[in-house]
Amino acid sequence: MIQSRHQLSLNGAAVSFAAGETVLAVAARAGTAIPTLCHDSRLEPAGCCRSCLVEIEGRPRMAPACATPAADGMVVATASERVARHRRTLLSMYLADQPAGPERGGHSCELHAMADEFGAAPDWPKMAPLRAGRADPNPYILFEPDKCILCARCTRYCDEVEGVSAIALAKRGPATTISTADGRGLLDTSCELCGGCIDVCPTGAMTEKMPRTAAAPPERELEPVRTTCNYCGVGCQMDLNVDRAANRVVKVTSPPPGTTTNDGNLCVKGRFAYDFIGHPDRLTTPLVRAQDGSLREASWDEALQRAADGLRGVAERHGRDALGFVSSSRCTGEENYLVQKLARAVFDTNNVHQCSAT
Amino acid sequence: MAGLVTTFGAGAMTNSIGEIRDADFLFVIGSNTSEAHPIIAMEMKRAVRRGARLVVADPRAIWMTSIADRHLRLRPGTDVWLLNAMAHVIVAEGLVDQAFLAANTENFEAVGETVARYTPEEAEEVTGVPAEDIRATAREYATTRKAGIYYTLGITEHTHGTDNVYALSNLVLMTGHLGLASAGMNPLRGQNNVQGANDSGASPVFLPGYQRIDDDAARARFEAAWGVELRPEPGLNLNEMMKEAGKSLKGFYVMGEDIVLSEPNVAKLEVGLNQVEFLVLQDLFLNETARFADVILPGGCFAEKDGVFTNSERRVQMVRKAVEPPGQARADLEILQDLARACGAGWPEQDAAAVYAEMAALAPKFAGIRHERIEREGGIQWPCETLDHPGTPFLHEGGVLRGRGRFEPVEYRPSVELADSEYPLVLSTGRTLYHYNAATQTRREPGLAAKQPEAFLELHRRDARDRGIADGDLVEVRTRRGAVRCRAAISKQVRPGCIWMPFHFAEARANLLTVDDGDSVTGTAEYKVCAAELLLLEGAAGGGPFPGAWWV
Amino acid sequence: MDERQRAQVLGALQGAGGLTEDVAALVGTQTGVPEAEVYGAGSFFHLLDDTAVKLRMCTGLSCAMKGSRELLTAAQAAGLPAAECSCLAACDLAPAALREREVLPEFGSAELDAAGGDWHAVRPEQAAWCGAVDALPGELAMDLAGERDRSGDAFARAAELGAGAVIAEVDAAGLQGRGGAGFPAAFKWKAVRRETAETRYVVLNADEGEPGAFKDREVLLRRPDLVVEGLAIAAAAVGAREVWCYLGAESGGPWRSLPAEIDAAKGAGLYDGIAFHLHAAPGAYICGEETALLEALEGKRGMPRLKPPFPTQVGLWGRPTLIHNVETIACVPAIVRNSGAWFAGLGRTGPGTKLYCLSGHVARPGVYEAPLGVSLDELLEAAGGVVGELKAFSPGGASSGFLPASESGRPLDFKSLAEVGSMLGSAGIVVLNDAVNMAEAALIQLRFFEAESCGQCAPCRIGTRFLREALEEAQRPGDGEARRAALRHVADAAWQMNEGSICGLGQAAPLPLTSALKWFPEDFEA
Repeated sequence: MIQSRHQLSLNGAAVSFAAGETVLAVAARAGTAIPTLCHDSRLEPAGCCRSCLVEIEGRPRMAPACATPAADGMVVATASERVARHRRTLLSMYLADQPAGPERGGHSCELHAMADEFGAAPDWPKMAPLRAGRADPNPYILFEPDKCILCARCTRYCDEVEGVSAIALAKRGPATTISTADGRGLLDTSCELCGGCIDVCPTGAMTEKMPRTAAAPPERELEPVRTTCNYCGVGCQMDLNVDRAANRVVKVTSPPPGTTTNDGNLCVKGRFAYDFIGHPDRLTTPLVRAQDGSLREASWDEALQRAADGLRGVAERHGRDALGFVSSSRCTGEENYLVQKLARAVFDTNNVHQCSAT
Repeated sequence: MAGLVTTFGAGAMTNSIGEIRDADFLFVIGSNTSEAHPIIAMEMKRAVRRGARLVVADPRAIWMTSIADRHLRLRPGTDVWLLNAMAHVIVAEGLVDQAFLAANTENFEAVGETVARYTPEEAEEVTGVPAEDIRATAREYATTRKAGIYYTLGITEHTHGTDNVYALSNLVLMTGHLGLASAGMNPLRGQNNVQGANDSGASPVFLPGYQRIDDDAARARFEAAWGVELRPEPGLNLNEMMKEAGKSLKGFYVMGEDIVLSEPNVAKLEVGLNQVEFLVLQDLFLNETARFADVILPGGCFAEKDGVFTNSERRVQMVRKAVEPPGQARADLEILQDLARACGAGWPEQDAAAVYAEMAALAPKFAGIRHERIEREGGIQWPCETLDHPGTPFLHEGGVLRGRGRFEPVEYRPSVELADSEYPLVLSTGRTLYHYNAATQTRREPGLAAKQPEAFLELHRRDARDRGIADGDLVEVRTRRGAVRCRAAISKQVRPGCIWMPFHFAEARANLLTVDDGDSVTGTAEYKVCAAELLLLEGAAGGGPFPGAWWV
Repeated sequence: MDERQRAQVLGALQGAGGLTEDVAALVGTQTGVPEAEVYGAGSFFHLLDDTAVKLRMCTGLSCAMKGSRELLTAAQAAGLPAAECSCLAACDLAPAALREREVLPEFGSAELDAAGGDWHAVRPEQAAWCGAVDALPGELAMDLAGERDRSGDAFARAAELGAGAVIAEVDAAGLQGRGGAGFPAAFKWKAVRRETAETRYVVLNADEGEPGAFKDREVLLRRPDLVVEGLAIAAAAVGAREVWCYLGAESGGPWRSLPAEIDAAKGAGLYDGIAFHLHAAPGAYICGEETALLEALEGKRGMPRLKPPFPTQVGLWGRPTLIHNVETIACVPAIVRNSGAWFAGLGRTGPGTKLYCLSGHVARPGVYEAPLGVSLDELLEAAGGVVGELKAFSPGGASSGFLPASESGRPLDFKSLAEVGSMLGSAGIVVLNDAVNMAEAALIQLRFFEAESCGQCAPCRIGTRFLREALEEAQRPGDGEARRAALRHVADAAWQMNEGSICGLGQAAPLPLTSALKWFPEDFEA
């Protein structure tokens, strides 16, 4: 990269930056972490969580690093006593507004991790619960307003990334909450159930609703397996969260934004349509057609031998080009390779095609 | 795919998904992007928010049209007229990129002569798209550098699908939108590994890596590696195989497709399958095709095996085993090797990495790709010919892969079945956001089933009124090949005279209705146009299937 | 989406009678705005959100001291659909109530009894009304008791002078924003004029709602001519062709007087080429903050924007925008007519005359025009003195906190009040006598801020409630130790609110409590 001519001072050190970068981005590149709760690289800066306030020389008020463009000669302090007191008291205030209890530790909570890191005072009295949840029969997404810090990542994601605006900030003041129109269930709205609201939520106020998750072990005991989605051709990268003891996928999460083609996004199928994996309807044993025309269970040896004999028999009776091999765009590249190799090298025919050739 | 190989030399998205956000002009044609490719649609939405212009050409008022600067609402099957008329404008107004033309293309004269006859005014007559909209779109496309074309099955699932692809290629070539970031010609793949299955040679014409079976040198490499002789003549494509079922084809091996639900004109196919002597089915669930199977082998789903999928942008990415398959089900890779051995072939035991390495050694386009590299570096975009090559985000940089991009003149040919007095409506079929293909996976998902529980037929208010149909009524959809029943959804999405239904639902199989005539080059069937009529069966009490939907 | 279509959202919701079921979807279809955003915007505003409430009692400081909470309790006991609301800008005629959109001044329990449980019967006929105005001797910039002037002379004079000279006069006048911030007006005029964008706007902030302030109401009722002419002069000077007036929806009187004045001026052929638009403010104090106001004008939730950029650069619909309070604009015609130097000379410790509102424990509440820098003592003398013994006063609305009686000789101007940690604000002075417990007075103000916080940022949204809960806890009967413990985090919370809040509301919200604790610690002990 060409050395930029733009420079600012960050905690006394000169740091160069590119035009258009925010103070937050410049600091991150320089290795200075600034805490954020409402920031997401995919969204317009909101500056509403206030956790990224820093001191900028010449400005009487601290400024949100996420929404402040870097400027030449700017003198930024992120480690001053004022900034430290700000983080401490702000996080103390957030925690006072969070429900007490065992919820902590179930879901990873960016807020609590941040409070630990910056030393929020634990002795601020817990405030009275104010915002009650509302029943919503949708199968996937649970919203618990008391855990919500109104960073608006979910509503902004729903608008700016997903483009459906099914949820928005509603009401005012301490009653402010996240809501659909008239507080209807998500199934009765433009919501496409992409689950992006769950993914961006820093406190677990938006979570997966599914009963299987409730039965699963705590999140820290799940094993994430990075893989490629099996639906459309975008090739989204995703993490299957596996409950090892139960041999089950209990949740799907997306890798962080900026790391893969899907930029942290998933659609409804990618995030939620995984029940088929361990579905009771799955075939669990080979089947062969019996004399009476019914299907009966068979051993692998028997089934494979029946298959081999049957295919060879057709070739012997009608010629090698009486066989057709249909492979699948759902299967892996290696498997498709083996199907065409089977057709060509074993049965000597080029009658092989995948199911969705265009 | 074949169309792009002919014109550019590679059948894939020329550019990358991540480049879409930086495009300044998006021409989306025959792609219901927000439903079929939601994540790509997000990139398009991001570009539009940034200020990019979006033009959507589609007979239906899909969601993307709601954020588009212009919607070209063409009549189904008239794409060639629209695209040739755009080319006409570009040539007539002197917007052709002459430098690119001279350096990188051939056969422009033929196209120039052809499109001279496709005036925007006549195009308006045929397509229903105002001539001025055609002109404006052509101008914007030709004069914007970062201008990309995005399409999917609305272009290819026609008897003239390859013509459509040629007509689009001509636009790309004459404006020089090739070998540039955020531009190019981008078919969005409908399934996770369409690209990878093609790459792997699951094709009657191509060996792995797009090497033609009649290319003696290529064939010789495979013969040496596999220790067998290979035949140079191409085999039957899928469309031909389905038509020959029970005739010349007496035995089938079907892995991972429910042909009885997914292939067109299935009533005819079922007659053929009854004449097939032996059919092996390898799948996750007992599907419709299982009725014809002699042996059924329980395969493994993507979460139960290792391997690679190649996405629309040619990116080879890992699939990793997360859980054990249920019961005795096994990964398909193992089944295939065992089957080959049961047939007497001396195949070694190989894991997925070894199989990939075998293929990469035989296919120069992937020669530099290995599982170990993907594990280390993340997905790699082919072409990647050496182990130290970083992969290729966009194709044709510094010159068209084929050598010279080839212009292919195309003439409009009507779809094989047009609306007439007996069947006055035009039926198209497609996918919805909430289901996937035969829906064997998605309908087992309670949330998706709740959001979209049953089949439906979209029709325009006027056509509904003419037939006394109200929103939510049970109707019968008839074509010359069959009839299915489902609920009517009166919708602003479809044009008058056009109806649309999803193909996901086994109890209302859209493919009982579709025609099985295939494209002359690819064999891809015309799922997007056939003539149909509607009959009201019984009135509904509870209103339409989509209360409060945005398009109603 | 068309920005002008989105701007229709709040008006369409008012037309539909507020957010009853399915109205959000309907308005969404009409305007092309997603229904959830319509709902989000509508539910932000009290007058749109709770449609079942027909009668609202002001619980602002002046009304509360006149027993409005007791009236509310009585109304609810009588089965009326009643609730509390924030300041109705009728502090001089306390207690005030709101029946649907109509403000009912000097509301009494006799009227409640007469209604007999039917809200329709609560003062069904409200005659036109206005409050008392007076002035200290001397020349006046506005002269609320004066005759209306529809000659258009000042506008014509401005046209003769030309834009540059007009702005120079405003600069020479030293006119400062009368809405509360005291920002030099000419600075904004120059900034907008400097912008290169072709389209610019002038916006009138007429959504008065600071407890203690009701001067804009009187200006609009008595001298709307000054406002319309001032707006026209400003628009011409900064190159704007459209003026948007954001007017409190609950104020029935100004809703008639301002449009009538615009129509009269237009009918007289004045202010050609300048279009005036009226926009109803459906109940949110925060929309007095200029960027929150712009959001509401655009049909969104009234949440303040991050600054910079300032409205002069990125304002209404992203265009350069000049926003002024009613009183600031009302000073403009006199400045143009008599010169900036003349206006500057009217003041004592600062330029110009100023409208001071007096309410609470004062003999003759009302709006007093006086030289900037007059003291409370002088104003009280003009207003007939204190009812009872002066204990404290709130010099500029809730945001200014409280000052003790000992400060009554201090000049009431922007600078002098800032020196004692208070502010002039909108000069809505509430006078408190020695019967008032200052902890209770602080609680009334804290409740106001809590109800009116927009909810966008945590320091304000959580902090206002945190302070209110702490103060209520401290007021429970108990030993002194427990009471002090309840207040132990107030200093930190107040610091955080002041440092961390996005806008002035949250920054100032702790002031009533911290100033009461500072000046009247004994009121928190007993």
